[in-house]
Amino acid sequence: MSVITTSGLKKQYNGIYVLKGINLDVNAGQVVGYIGPNGAGKSTTIKVIAGITDEFEGDVSVFGLDVRKHALEIKQRIGYIPEQAALYDVLTAIEYLRFVGKLYALNETVISSKSWELLRLFDLADKAETRMNTYSKGMKQKVLLISGLMHNPELIFLDEPLSGLDANAVILIKEILSQLKQNGKTIFYSSHIMDVVEKISDRIVIIDKGEVIADGSFENLQQQAQQGSLENIFTSLTGGDQQNTTTAKEFIKVLRS
Amino acid sequence: MDKWILKAMLGFIKIFSKKDVDFERLKIIAETKVLMDRRRAPASFRQKQRKEPKNPLLITLIIYTILGIFMSLMIIFIKSFMVSMIFLHAYLLFIMAMTLITDFSSVLLDTTDNQIILPKPVNSRTLFLARVVHILTYLLQFTIALTVFPLAVTFVKFGILSGILLSATLLLTVAFSMFFTYLLYGLILRFGNEQKIKDIVGYFQIFMTVFFAVGYQVIPRLINFENLNYTFTLYWYSYLLPPVWMAMALDAMHQFNFDSIHLLMIFCAFVIPVFCTWLMIKYLAPSFSRKLAALSNNNEAAKKNVTGKKFSKDLSEKLSRVMCVTQTESAGFEKVWKMTGRDKNFKLQFYPSLAYLLVFAFIFVFKSGKNISEIWNTLSSTKMFLWFVYLPMFSIASSLSIVAFHENYLASWIYQSTPITKPGEIISGMLKALMLKFFVPVYFILFIFSLYVWGYIIIDDFILGFFNNVLIYLLMASLSRHYLPFSRQPAIKEQAGKFVQIILQFLIIALLIGTHYLALKIYWLPGALIPFSIVTAYLLLKKIQQLPWLKISN
Repeated sequence: MSVITTSGLKKQYNGIYVLKGINLDVNAGQVVGYIGPNGAGKSTTIKVIAGITDEFEGDVSVFGLDVRKHALEIKQRIGYIPEQAALYDVLTAIEYLRFVGKLYALNETVISSKSWELLRLFDLADKAETRMNTYSKGMKQKVLLISGLMHNPELIFLDEPLSGLDANAVILIKEILSQLKQNGKTIFYSSHIMDVVEKISDRIVIIDKGEVIADGSFENLQQQAQQGSLENIFTSLTGGDQQNTTTAKEFIKVLRS
Repeated sequence: MDKWILKAMLGFIKIFSKKDVDFERLKIIAETKVLMDRRRAPASFRQKQRKEPKNPLLITLIIYTILGIFMSLMIIFIKSFMVSMIFLHAYLLFIMAMTLITDFSSVLLDTTDNQIILPKPVNSRTLFLARVVHILTYLLQFTIALTVFPLAVTFVKFGILSGILLSATLLLTVAFSMFFTYLLYGLILRFGNEQKIKDIVGYFQIFMTVFFAVGYQVIPRLINFENLNYTFTLYWYSYLLPPVWMAMALDAMHQFNFDSIHLLMIFCAFVIPVFCTWLMIKYLAPSFSRKLAALSNNNEAAKKNVTGKKFSKDLSEKLSRVMCVTQTESAGFEKVWKMTGRDKNFKLQFYPSLAYLLVFAFIFVFKSGKNISEIWNTLSSTKMFLWFVYLPMFSIASSLSIVAFHENYLASWIYQSTPITKPGEIISGMLKALMLKFFVPVYFILFIFSLYVWGYIIIDDFILGFFNNVLIYLLMASLSRHYLPFSRQPAIKEQAGKFVQIILQFLIIALLIGTHYLALKIYWLPGALIPFSIVTAYLLLKKIQQLPWLKISN
């Protein structure tokens, strides 16, 4: 069963198209890594599918429901974890989770027990009642992760979930993602960290300048591009390969002048 | 207070809520927003508390209540009903607009809501109502704090009817201030971007801080409560001002005068604010948030314009060639010159102390009870210009300690990682930049002013004074702890044990000024002292330039 279907998805800001017709079909239980250079339209795609913005062209449906008409129902069943640690940091972690939990219409006792339990698992229990403006970026990211997952969604969107985390936390998140996958969740995430994408994704979608330029399993992409790692595939597909080498050479030349 | 207002409002909505409004979600959003308001440090008083207070909002509200007491005193003492009412409404309009622009802007301009609330299952009507409840709660608590005393006084002095009517016109005035704020933001956003708004909000914050700093000192001295018989005539353009409409509407009730002009004013007082509010809710606010969302989504497009621009050579880069000897020194000079012009926190802390200069001048020169024209006429026969020579220093001196702090203080690793052998040169460059940028212009203006009042005889005093000021500034710099510019964390406390140092500084400064004062008695002496002052200042500067790393604190 397909969980996400987009056909001819386009989106413009002030007459400039940032998405130029994205066609995707994601099945239940898939882990999709969505990668592309900065400004390629990754976050925008996620925002459209998650029902955050309804100004777009084309058709998008999630769980077989049209996002334009059933946005609320879809939002209740998905978890969205934004990038750049966007949260109200004058609140404490417990207060913030209570806020989010209530927006998902969870029962108060459930919110409280879940928040404490999950914060404890992330080693944040002793800081649970201090304001989050004292938190490090990694700690905020953990709270965001809890807030996006505490209503046990079926489909999970993560926008750069690993940025700013220390090595240990990266391993933990990776492990959580693969456990979620085993529990039948569908995960759609964007990341810059290629070797993580390479390891945990069933399917990798590369976009550049608002268009899908590659779509398939890691092995598929490897055959297509006839190159080793995802990083190499990525640079060769987005045309950065030759460019980067020349830029690096120029850079050294200017340094020595 | 905010919680009671919120509760009352939520109760109200619960009774009248329609089925497409999700009350539980509305409640949690509004409650959370109000809680966050409580914890947000108010913009205009921010720099005074280094530590995060528990409820900064409460402090602001108390200050506003005290301002309200002043206003109620005014209502008691001013004899003309119209004048006191115009004052009251103008004051409310001003303070509310200022508060909204400087303080509430962070709420209005905040786009994190889009990332936090929009992905959650909340329908747009609920979210809209939650925002309305939040903004109304915010406005009402400030309105109550500001007007509770004036309102009480009006009830007692002018009767219940006037009191009730006044509560209505005050609320309409608040609606007006909200409208103005949106209008201002809308206009800025039309011609600039989000950053532009933040810059302009920054200037308003500086203005507010200066206003409060100066206002507290000057206004009580200006108002003579014994003698408040302002006579009052309305010019044609007065009828364009909202406070006048409100006051006229009240006046109509007060003296049961319903002639055509009063009726027109009643019409303006009630219809225009309501119309403006409607306009704001229907068009202004939605278009504003749409633009803001588009801006935050479309950063790439905006960036292109910036990088395409080629910057012309900065003034500081030209000046540093003339002013500085070594490359290190000119690096310090340029950095301090540029960053003091761009860092909002520095401006927010330093500009008010510049404004205090006016206050000092006002108090010292005009402190006696005589009227201003009398003082003006006798001014040229006094030695008051000595105040103008040395007053600037007291204001500029604060720049020395402020310039050490910066929010991004960690960036000062660059001083450590580069091969600087004489950090003293950075400090001397910093001192030169601060003197040239802030002291010299102020001193020059005061010099021109004094030249006008006292004539050419003060020229030698101002020359001697200039070098003495430089000397004092350098002395203060070399006697206090040495910090490289922008290298300290803003929150840390001052170390104790500075008392002896301060006393020493004051003794030396007093000695210098005292010498100058005594020298005034012999006409050639000030001129003769100039070389001594120059030489000492020069030697001191050399000493500061030689400061080794050992003497630099961090």
